[in-house]
Amino acid sequence: MNKTLLIVDDSRVSRMMIRNLVAERKPGWQIIEAASGEEAITQTVENMPDCVTMDINMPGMDGLTAAAQIKKTCPKVRIVLLSANIQESSLLRARQIGVDFVAKPITAASIDKVIAYCERP
Amino acid sequence: MLELNDLEHDALIEIFNIGTGQAAAVLSQMMGDHIELSVPAVCFVSRLTAASELTADAGKRICGVSQRFQGAFNADAILMFPENQSLEIVRLLVGGDIPLDELTAMEQEALSEIGNIILNALIGTLANLLGWEFSCSLPIYHFGTSGEILHTEAKPETDLVMLLHIGLRLERHQINGYVAFLLDLSSLQGLREGIGRFLGGITG
Repeated sequence: MNKTLLIVDDSRVSRMMIRNLVAERKPGWQIIEAASGEEAITQTVENMPDCVTMDINMPGMDGLTAAAQIKKTCPKVRIVLLSANIQESSLLRARQIGVDFVAKPITAASIDKVIAYCERP
Repeated sequence: MLELNDLEHDALIEIFNIGTGQAAAVLSQMMGDHIELSVPAVCFVSRLTAASELTADAGKRICGVSQRFQGAFNADAILMFPENQSLEIVRLLVGGDIPLDELTAMEQEALSEIGNIILNALIGTLANLLGWEFSCSLPIYHFGTSGEILHTEAKPETDLVMLLHIGLRLERHQINGYVAFLLDLSSLQGLREGIGRFLGGITG
């Protein structure tokens, strides 16, 4: 089934790489983007994506805070943290707020993991 | 000055070897090339001397990405590449189909993201190895000489730091870079305590 994916990352290059890799694998998916945690919350409320990829280290609201807020208001949205921050403390916080974690770099393998999380029943 | 004894020095090198190995594995995935690493070198020097340690030609312009990590100790981590190789690095990251003008337009952002991933892989491995937690600033892109990047003009010669640096080389593409850590000496006690815990874990 086709899904709507929201890519949240302050790096335009990262958003472009995620978009390209997802589009190659899932050409029917609608892809939207946000460049900050605040924008991610707005986009989620307005567009109700099925899945969100969320960077952690961003200017303004960080990805963990944004993910926690989205989970509160839109608990059905699946969120995958896609971040270079591989500290166990970050992984622990991801588990605490009920979101998945995939480590950067953005490669075919890491995007396959993201898609698998998004499609998990 | 707070110095490290031989065992602490060896442990520090080993910890950074592990962290740099993880960062190199990540860089290798991104660039599709084998990464050769030099043996980490550690010394206590002024920022001015640190700048000259990092490049054979201190006047040569380089591209760098730095992030400030704060936690058990505070450090500036910097990834540096020669100016004339930065576009090639960006091309390896985003693929070969992008026109040159677009590649140039995204150079700073792409290098910042590479730095973010590599420096986080390194510091994250250290944090996990030693049970620490660090907060990190956003990556900052720099362009200039190593002296300009390390802000040596604003610091007196007596401003000592612990410099830990590792050379890296993309084997097939013959691109050379450096990863450097600069710790303020006031942070050294925190680092030393972490090394002590690491050694305690090995020796029981």
